[in-house]
Amino acid sequence: MKPRWRKVLLDLIENKGRTLLVVLSIFVGVFSIGVIAGAYVIIANDMSASYAANQPANLELRMEDFDEDILTTVRNTREIGEAEARRVFNIRVRTPDSDQWSTLDIIAMDDFQANQVNLLTPMRGSTNPGKNEVLLEREALEDLKVDVGGNLVFELPDGTTKTLPVVGIVQDPTTGADDFLAPPYGYIAMDTLPTLRMPGTFNRIYATVSENGDDLAHIRTVGTDLKDKLEKAGTPVIRTRFSKSHEHPLAATVNAILGILLALGVLIVFLSSSLIANTLSALLNQHLRHIGVIKLVGGRNRQVLAMYLTLIMAFGVLALIPAVLLGGQGAYGLAAFIASQLSFNLLGYRIVPLAFGIQIAVGLLVPLVSGLAPVISGSRVTVLRAISGELALDESQDGDEDARVASPKSESRWERFQTRVTNALAKRGIHIPRPLLISLRNTFRRRGRLALTLFTLTMGGAIFIAVFNVRVTLFDYIGAIGRYFLADVTVDFDQPYRIHEVQQFAAQVPGVQAVEGWQFVGTELLYPDGTVAENMNLLAPPAESKLVNPILVEGRWILPSDVRKLAISEAVYDPFPDLRAGDNLRLKINGLEEDWQVVGIFKFVGQEGILAYAPYEYVSVANNLTNRAYTYRIVLDRHDRPYQDQMAEVFDRYFRDNGFKVRQARAGLASLDVAADSLGILVTFLMIMALLTASVGSMGLTGTMGMNVLERTREIGIMRAIGAGNKVIMRTVIAEGVVIGLISFGLAILLSIPFTYLLSTIVSLAVFETPIQVVFTPIGYLIWLGLVLALSAFASLLPARNAARLTIREVLAYE
Amino acid sequence: MVSADRQTSSAPASRGRKHPRQQEDAQPAGSRNDVLIQMRDVVKTFKNAAGEFTALKGVDLDIHRGEFAAIVGKSGSGKSTLLNMITGIDHPTSGSVVIGGVDIYRMTESQRSLWRGQNLGIVFQFFQLLPMLTLLENVMLPMDYVGLYDFEERPKRAMALLEMVGLEKQAHTLPLAVSTGQQQAAAIARALATNPPLLVADEPTGNLDSRTSEAIIDLFDELVGDGKTIVMVTHDPSLTSRTSRTVTISDGVLISEIVARALPLLSHAQMLEVTQKFERQTFQPGEDIIRRDERVDYFFMIENGEVDVVLQGKRRDDTVLARLKPGDFFGEIELVRGGKSIANVRAAAEGPVELLALSRADFNQMLEVSPLTQEAISKVVQERLKEHKATDRRKKWRLFG
Repeated sequence: MKPRWRKVLLDLIENKGRTLLVVLSIFVGVFSIGVIAGAYVIIANDMSASYAANQPANLELRMEDFDEDILTTVRNTREIGEAEARRVFNIRVRTPDSDQWSTLDIIAMDDFQANQVNLLTPMRGSTNPGKNEVLLEREALEDLKVDVGGNLVFELPDGTTKTLPVVGIVQDPTTGADDFLAPPYGYIAMDTLPTLRMPGTFNRIYATVSENGDDLAHIRTVGTDLKDKLEKAGTPVIRTRFSKSHEHPLAATVNAILGILLALGVLIVFLSSSLIANTLSALLNQHLRHIGVIKLVGGRNRQVLAMYLTLIMAFGVLALIPAVLLGGQGAYGLAAFIASQLSFNLLGYRIVPLAFGIQIAVGLLVPLVSGLAPVISGSRVTVLRAISGELALDESQDGDEDARVASPKSESRWERFQTRVTNALAKRGIHIPRPLLISLRNTFRRRGRLALTLFTLTMGGAIFIAVFNVRVTLFDYIGAIGRYFLADVTVDFDQPYRIHEVQQFAAQVPGVQAVEGWQFVGTELLYPDGTVAENMNLLAPPAESKLVNPILVEGRWILPSDVRKLAISEAVYDPFPDLRAGDNLRLKINGLEEDWQVVGIFKFVGQEGILAYAPYEYVSVANNLTNRAYTYRIVLDRHDRPYQDQMAEVFDRYFRDNGFKVRQARAGLASLDVAADSLGILVTFLMIMALLTASVGSMGLTGTMGMNVLERTREIGIMRAIGAGNKVIMRTVIAEGVVIGLISFGLAILLSIPFTYLLSTIVSLAVFETPIQVVFTPIGYLIWLGLVLALSAFASLLPARNAARLTIREVLAYE
Repeated sequence: MVSADRQTSSAPASRGRKHPRQQEDAQPAGSRNDVLIQMRDVVKTFKNAAGEFTALKGVDLDIHRGEFAAIVGKSGSGKSTLLNMITGIDHPTSGSVVIGGVDIYRMTESQRSLWRGQNLGIVFQFFQLLPMLTLLENVMLPMDYVGLYDFEERPKRAMALLEMVGLEKQAHTLPLAVSTGQQQAAAIARALATNPPLLVADEPTGNLDSRTSEAIIDLFDELVGDGKTIVMVTHDPSLTSRTSRTVTISDGVLISEIVARALPLLSHAQMLEVTQKFERQTFQPGEDIIRRDERVDYFFMIENGEVDVVLQGKRRDDTVLARLKPGDFFGEIELVRGGKSIANVRAAAEGPVELLALSRADFNQMLEVSPLTQEAISKVVQERLKEHKATDRRKKWRLFG
């Protein structure tokens, strides 16, 4: 090996700490981008592939009870590929040793063996439940502590219970894939229905189209035609749902979130590149003398350049190897986590060539680009300058060392400013202890390095704070949605009861403040050509209800005198982007098409389909249910979730005991909490990325402090020589780190504001399809302040310990 | 007879002013019992890839309060290592270093730093001022580190020290903006910040021009006058003439200060050889060391005590030709000239005398390898003989007249 390449090799292996720092800096960026790019590709591909592999229904028809004949009619429709009928109902279950009820959506199927639509993926135990046996979707296990071989207690409509064994756990990636608020599923055979006091008829059809499964317009047409056909045959279709074969209903949302993560990944690469530039610049500074000697013995600029570029490439390769290996694993791990949250399967572990390519490009190019400037300037250094011992001069003191020793130089403006400020403070009686003064002034000695360090730490902090703000913004929005759920308990009955009667009964229960009877109508929103645009839930509270406090985007709220007028949620912009208050919409209610006027548009999220409100006063008359209601909203004297849960149980039992046919009683906050949980996953992702950026920042700080200590070894020796003990030295170094941390905190506060707006807008557009009101919280700022102080102190601790361990002989020998 | 003191002061390399105490007496300024620095059997071995290297080979050294001691030696002789042992900057491999009654190597590095700040001021060759602090702040720093003086008092004390070294106008200036001489003056002010009893200086003038060096040494003189003890490493012979004591080190071993003073024209290696060859002899008060007309086989150098060179008359009355003091030597006339002793030499009546005795063979070998010393001793022999003859004639004249 030629001596110069041997030097490169020795540079690589001799200073292991420095090599580790550079390699780690490159690794973080390459690893992050590999994880995110890999996960992006895997999810983009597998989410839909896995969804498609389970033969998702293109049409879902919710209907009144029907029998095999209707199913045959559907199957005989030319455009229909496969069709299956099921009975889906809501039921409460608990484990035998628990008092806590959970809600399950039970799907009863005729023949599990012949399942062709919305396939179930086996996980454990059987996939073919016999009579009086039940299968559980794996998500149900989050609430129910039960497994194969265990039992579940079902609450029957008459209030009695029935215990059935769990014979298998399955995954159902398709049913309800677009509704992450839906309760988990259980599966039974049709012949189990009588046991659960349910009629043996179907109420839902899941069907695929025979062709053009990814053409939503075609699916919609087929669905609308089929619906008309069924309704003409006397079977009303309550609700329809259309979806493509090869696109997961949440794909757009997930891709948007992954896009945000990808942007953060790019940012991390950017930050790590500044870290690399910093470290390489310090390395070149340390190597000036070597370069001088190389040139002294005949080395040319080109050769020096080649040597150091090779060294950088070697750093890149060293970082690439673990980054690629771990990045692949990390990408699959992240994808698997997202898949498990969204209930779809991945197609198996694999290296994503695109992510692999990006990693190699980033791993080799970023260090090269970051290191090019210091390497070029280093290779051009003159022999005189290189060997004159000008190794640890401050940026403010560039120039000829000999000249500096021989004759005094003038202080720079910055130096004069520093001393003037200190003197001015001293005159006002504010004396800064000299050890602290050293920390403060040292902070600004390497201003280029400081700028890069501050950049990484500030970006990390700003993103961290912004994520907290976004988190609060999202939950605030969800909380605002609570304005539509102001009741503490909602009780749904299987049949309408007189409002006055229910109010009288409810008033007997201690804690009840008010009771309102609401109407509910499942409707469909139609395009002008008569095809179904969306399902719509039309709620009909009393127009003067205090239990809805809407956030209006446009128009007004409903009035008691409104006839065929409604206020509709913003989701209507999806099918009708140009809709304005005052426009008319065509609805299909109870099989009849009607034109309704939109009086207002309000913000709302988290419900499948579109939500609309119309006054009870009109809807009850139109439904011929005057003074009666299926659903009741009860206001209590306390509004916390545990109390709501407890009172829901009380009302459930109370109304059943008094002969009411209760379908379910739910806590008012239940839906909100589920929505909050779902957002929690998103926030967790963002938080991980924020921590990753913060860790890059703290690595940058560690590197900077390490380099600073290395360059100030002599000064540390002097401090020891004049009386500074270990603790004082450590305090001086740590204080410098903390000062940098505090400056970055100040900058991060400023930068977090635009970041919060940017991130909130992107996330809210991805999740809620509407920009939302940004909320700031002091929590993120306080946590980051604590974290940045701890990180700064911790990042400085190792260099500080090293500094404290140096003997004076070593440090003075450094000269 | 010419004293060894005068010999030393007339050596070509010995220019400049002589330290007052050196002129008075070769004894250290402090009392013999007031030892500030006591090094015992200090060994320092460095290990590296090339093997082991012993820089100090069992050094014993006492430095007394109020001394201005120079440590001299050639490059690589171990003088900086010796200084590092005194400052606690480095650890001895074995042996002890007790300063002001404290065994400094029984402390941790950190405790030693604090101790150093309180008891020791160090002046470096390259000044080692912290570049980010003004001169005033640099001087205040040791007070901050060791917590001496009230917080409000520190700037005043630092300013007073800067005034003492003539830097009050530059107090708020950064080190880079003042001359090297001013930097060193500031470094001395910093070394005095905590009012330590001991100042240790490593080549303090090594980076300064001669005029500035002179000013720095004048400052050291004043400090010694004020009761400070200064130990200074230097390779500048002009500085050793200003110190009260010179400790010479060669190849990790201290050269006997008596040898260095008596035979200054030997090279350090030769001094070391002599140091290793002499034997110590002690004589009680009035005891004869050399008798007239007897053979002399040793070259004697006085380490402690005094001797009288005596001519005895026929009536056994004694005429004291000369009283020799530590650093003086005798016996050289007989060894150089041959023949028997021309006078009696006896321990002074005031106390015992300790002598370093070099055998005839070793003495001859020494003269062989050092023609300059041979020449100098020949001159001494000539002068002493001349004086002896004159005295002898006067004595005879008195006897017969």
